[in-house]
Amino acid sequence: MIRRRQAATAWLFLTPAVLFFTLLFFLPIGNQLLTGLYDADGVSFVGLGNFSRALSDPEVVHSFLITLLYAAGTLIVGTAVGLGLAVILNQALPGRTLFRSLLLIPYLTSVSIVGLLWRNILDPQVGILNRLLESLGLPGQTWLSTHPLATIVGITVWSGAGYTMVLFLAGLQGIPGLYYEAARIDGAGPWRRFFAITLPLLAPTTLFVSIIGLISTLQQFALPYIVTGGGPGNATSLYAHRLFIVAFNDNDFGYASALSVLLLIVVLVLSLAQLRIGDRANA
Amino acid sequence: MPSLDRRSFLQLGLGATVLGAVGTGCSPATPAAQKQDARTFTIYWNAGHGYQVYKDVIDQFGKDHDLEMNWQKFQWPDLTTKLTADFRSGNVPDLVEEVSAGTGTQYGLAGNVLALDEFATADQAFGFPGDFIDQAVVARQYEGTTYSIPLHLTANGLVFYNKEMIDKPPATWDEFLDLARSTTKDKVSGTALNSDASYAAPFYSQQNVDFSQVGAKQFMVPQDGARKALQFMQDLIFTHKASPAPVATTDYSGPQKLFSAERAAMFVSGPWDIGPIRQGSPDIDLGLAVPLTGAVQASSMAGSGLMIPAKAKDPELSWELITRLTAVKTELAATKESGMSMPRKSWAADPAVAADPNLGTIAKALAVVADQDVALAASGKAAQITELWKKAYQQMIIQHAPVEQTLADFRKQAGAAL
Repeated sequence: MIRRRQAATAWLFLTPAVLFFTLLFFLPIGNQLLTGLYDADGVSFVGLGNFSRALSDPEVVHSFLITLLYAAGTLIVGTAVGLGLAVILNQALPGRTLFRSLLLIPYLTSVSIVGLLWRNILDPQVGILNRLLESLGLPGQTWLSTHPLATIVGITVWSGAGYTMVLFLAGLQGIPGLYYEAARIDGAGPWRRFFAITLPLLAPTTLFVSIIGLISTLQQFALPYIVTGGGPGNATSLYAHRLFIVAFNDNDFGYASALSVLLLIVVLVLSLAQLRIGDRANA
Repeated sequence: MPSLDRRSFLQLGLGATVLGAVGTGCSPATPAAQKQDARTFTIYWNAGHGYQVYKDVIDQFGKDHDLEMNWQKFQWPDLTTKLTADFRSGNVPDLVEEVSAGTGTQYGLAGNVLALDEFATADQAFGFPGDFIDQAVVARQYEGTTYSIPLHLTANGLVFYNKEMIDKPPATWDEFLDLARSTTKDKVSGTALNSDASYAAPFYSQQNVDFSQVGAKQFMVPQDGARKALQFMQDLIFTHKASPAPVATTDYSGPQKLFSAERAAMFVSGPWDIGPIRQGSPDIDLGLAVPLTGAVQASSMAGSGLMIPAKAKDPELSWELITRLTAVKTELAATKESGMSMPRKSWAADPAVAADPNLGTIAKALAVVADQDVALAASGKAAQITELWKKAYQQMIIQHAPVEQTLADFRKQAGAAL
């Protein structure tokens, strides 16, 4: 009787969470899936037509490929920068708390502000970066025209480095100091200690950073939308931007829903693959 | 019946409270809130058109009808996004500014905005369409039905020039090129092209090019004229270095900002840039010249309108606000404030307008406006094809893609979209 009563209480407490996820996640996902089976008019049933159309749509394929490039660039550079900063700021340096806080500011800043800020900084005619280069006798650059995707990767890394650093800092502080002490006694130098102790013991953190990073980069929309509007041409029209264009410009919500379901599947598959790789590495 | 101890009782009570709170949060809005909502009048407006005179009209309208006026301002792309979502959800504003002629037709044919002819016919004093310039009206009609009322009527293609840098404005493409090259020095560019693809319209119109001929499923024809126009623009940037390559953004004010910063000697645009230049750089001696002549002299029609969503709470009220916002008195005040040109014939005939040299130039530009293909808006594919054009234009103007091939690709894609 007591166990049944406890179970009832547990269900009462769980119900809000179940309701929350059902109403705000599972039902919308189901609705997306259903909408994806219909044409732009929302009436004509097309089955899996929207899904097969996506696979042969050159704009969608292009946006998916550049999104993978963007995700890879952001993950690799972002992880390296975050880890580097964490290692540096894990040392007993003067003012490290201040630096840690300062580095977190871009992450805490609204993506709209970050986008507008960098759009102004990178403006080839009146942007501060080119003025700085010119004052140093260097030629000005048209960052957003010649290397738009790389520039968006750079801004994303700048914006997220502080957060990655905090995660790695937490990981670093969980590594017992005696490992380093023993390695030092055995004559291991700083690089050896980093590759033999720090990096392997940070594997769970790295896995977490990469999964979170992958999910957010595959869904990236706001930054390229604000900085370049997906241009020039379609050079920064990432998958989520393409999806947005299909829905709100072309007014084809059936196709857009199918695209969003495909994105969900890709994110799920890649995240599960990462988890499997992480499990094997830990084993 | 099982007995409850105090601990279990408290647990169950707390659980029920949490559940009740969630249920309350998920419940529909109360009738009182709905009543409040009925007294709120929502307007979607372009952020660049938030003139004081419109604010005064809207405030007065709210007072007269005891309404809370919710005047929301957006950049055009954001307004379009929000409106599309609203049409889907059925929760629409009461009045919307239309980005350009044809947009209302597209929404109207889909049943999302109201046909306005009955309102206009019943309101003879309003003077529609008689007192409105024909081009502004015709571009908003399809098969005799009107889906929006013109708010502004402007022309893209005016040559803005800095009188301290240029004595005599260019009249032809050759003169434009010569002046752009001769005024390019140090940090000043002779001209500045726009990243917004709609700013190519004056150039291709001056080669007698139609953007679309939906009936024939053709785009940017005749092809030779289109190639000439886009090649001319591309050469200004990459061959003559007389214009910086524009930066891809959703903002169309780049050339105006360069001009205001005295980093560009001239640029091609419309009356909407007069106000920002006057306010931002009052020291600049601004000159305004009529559209250039290529094969012909031409400008492209621009200017927003007003439309009423089909599910607006009270369309009669929305119509009344339209009549106030487009009254000739309001038009004259808006012109005085911003330099914007207006669609009423009685506005054009007003002595204050006729005596203004800038407005005289705008009137000349309006006289050479190229015809619009109203069938494009009616096709329901205008937005999709405009997006394809945006991509092609940026590839040519920013990324230096070959003009002929890019235009050919655009024609193919646009034809397929139709």
